[in-house]
Amino acid sequence: MSSLSETTSTRKRQSGLDWMQIRLILGGIIAVIGLVLALLSNEWGYLLGGVLLGLLAWKWQHGILVAYSILSVFPVLRIIAISLRPTSALLSRTIEIIPANATLASYSALFTEENFLLWVWQSLAITVTVSIIGVVVAATGAYAFSRWRFAGRRPGLIFLMTTQMIPAGMLIIPIYVIVAQLQLTNQIIGLVLAYITTAVPFSIWILKGYYDTIPPDLEEAAMVDGCNRMEAFYRIILPLSTPALSIVFLFNFLGAWAEFIVAKVILVSNAVWTWPLGLNDFIGNFNTDWGKYAAGSVLVTVPVLLLFMWQSKYLISGLTLGSVKS
Amino acid sequence: MVQGIGGLTGETLFATLGQIVPLIIVVVIFILALEFALYNLLSKVFKLQNALAYTLLSPAAVAILVFMIYPLLFNVLLAFSDLKRDTFGCYSPVSVATCQLDHLYGLDYAIDNFTKVFFRIRDGQIVDWGRLLTTAGSTFPALLGRTVLWTFFNVIFHFSGGLALALILNQKIRLKGIYRSLIVIPWALPGVITFLTWKQEFHAQYGFVNILLGGFGIAPISWLDNPIYAFVAIVFVNVWLGIPFYMVMLLGGLQSISPEYYEAAQMDGAGAWQQFRFITMPLLRPILIPAVTLDVIWTFNKLDLIVVMTNGGPQEGTNILVSALYNAAFGTSATQRLGFASAFSIIIFVILFIFAIVWITTSGGLKEIYEK
Repeated sequence: MSSLSETTSTRKRQSGLDWMQIRLILGGIIAVIGLVLALLSNEWGYLLGGVLLGLLAWKWQHGILVAYSILSVFPVLRIIAISLRPTSALLSRTIEIIPANATLASYSALFTEENFLLWVWQSLAITVTVSIIGVVVAATGAYAFSRWRFAGRRPGLIFLMTTQMIPAGMLIIPIYVIVAQLQLTNQIIGLVLAYITTAVPFSIWILKGYYDTIPPDLEEAAMVDGCNRMEAFYRIILPLSTPALSIVFLFNFLGAWAEFIVAKVILVSNAVWTWPLGLNDFIGNFNTDWGKYAAGSVLVTVPVLLLFMWQSKYLISGLTLGSVKS
Repeated sequence: MVQGIGGLTGETLFATLGQIVPLIIVVVIFILALEFALYNLLSKVFKLQNALAYTLLSPAAVAILVFMIYPLLFNVLLAFSDLKRDTFGCYSPVSVATCQLDHLYGLDYAIDNFTKVFFRIRDGQIVDWGRLLTTAGSTFPALLGRTVLWTFFNVIFHFSGGLALALILNQKIRLKGIYRSLIVIPWALPGVITFLTWKQEFHAQYGFVNILLGGFGIAPISWLDNPIYAFVAIVFVNVWLGIPFYMVMLLGGLQSISPEYYEAAQMDGAGAWQQFRFITMPLLRPILIPAVTLDVIWTFNKLDLIVVMTNGGPQEGTNILVSALYNAAFGTSATQRLGFASAFSIIIFVILFIFAIVWITTSGGLKEIYEK
């Protein structure tokens, strides 16, 4: 229990329930004022503001949390709203979530007028390849870092931390020149090679953190039973690490899925773009096409968002495991 | 017009697979061959005790050597070169014939590149601060100052916002799980979409920010056309993006503090502020220091947000060191001076590295990582 909850409970004890009732009435009055203003001016923002302020007066914690949750979800709601608008209303100033004359025209335009599906397919191919290679390479390396005390272990771990400090620009320039010299610009292999650079150190770091939590007694018991070290690793440690392996796969996936800068430098031709380049082009300087942009954003975001919310507990614990907790 | 459905035809589908599948197969075969050969060599020829450890490590070591160490060394080499868009032919094996340079790499290039980061030299005299991009506002001190401001504001707001939310969520409160999953959404959104969507919301006429301000009777602001407002806008977006990370970290830290400490403190008559000051903060420290260290480094290097939202403009108002570096190397306005940009990137790394050493030694952060 935190210090703040202690103070609220003491205050409650001192002044009884009356104080909460006064705040409830006050909050209710503010919300009703918001409703009246909204009805008078036909601006529903007043109702929302009134309800939020009322909640703040009644239970301030919930007021803050609701307001911040709205701020967090808001861009998602906005792109959904814009993606459903008919072309004539794309630039309207309305803030309705389901607009009048909602239509799926922007979505169908993505598939008939743009290379959208091709871009998503390219991104998917690149991302899955990077994630697979990242996990395969990191799984055994992290195990070595976790279980053996070999010469060069500490410098190796410190180096892995230092890689976090390298400015993106410092790697983009040489990688661009190398990829250009190998004539891999406009080829998705060039991009896969570039992404592996960042995927491997991070994956090792997270997996090492996870292996550290598995007691070495397990393998020792298996080795007493006649397994050798590698069999113990494959039969005991890897199956136990499935959650961590899938977290690493997902992190590599999320990292490469929306990568923009390196892709922009390496992939120039429209026919080999990944989706971030395509969506950026929709609201480039010359042809602003909010409808297609919003529809495309919804299609690439919603699956990732559902995956994240479904797995958020594991994902978050995985990140804290890798980056902060020792 | 597009072919197939959304540009995807059987041909394009298999063209991609044809590149990817052989790559994965080659990588897997290479890893197995490497491990097999190395293990036999180390254990049977050299009789090393940790042979298996080195074997298991070898694929990662090779990947890091090839994809990280080699590019970094190559970057240093490029700082000793005059590589630009118009001299690229010299460095490309295909069109070397058209090359105009006497030599590809040399100390004279390096001296020139590194001096130009700081000084503008005419006739052997230092006339001014050097320009990293073409405009007068892109001097090294200006960019460094803006980077420090950018990092400072972001980390302060990330920390205070994340701590406030974590403290509220750590109380006995209903719907905790729902609030938490809604508040981490910014973290889960693909970055490009966040940046592009917020860029639209800051649009002077149609963006939601001005619609909201209009509700309070404030005249529309051209957010992204004014250097100061644009800076405020990008700081806002990055703060919005970074708060969930701190909230999750600090909430984890708060939940691990035993309630007995607070009970004991209350017995001794400590107030809410004293409990926060003398129990909560010291016990959060082991989580806070690494989180702040990582956040400073990430914010300092935050390139994609700036490139997508403002590309450093207007009038250099939002360029920080790394975005200026990107624009010097690949921007449209500059002449793509890659050799010069390599020198610049080395200087940025040195700054960050010095900061990291000083910060880590003074704060004792990341100690547990070194000790393990």
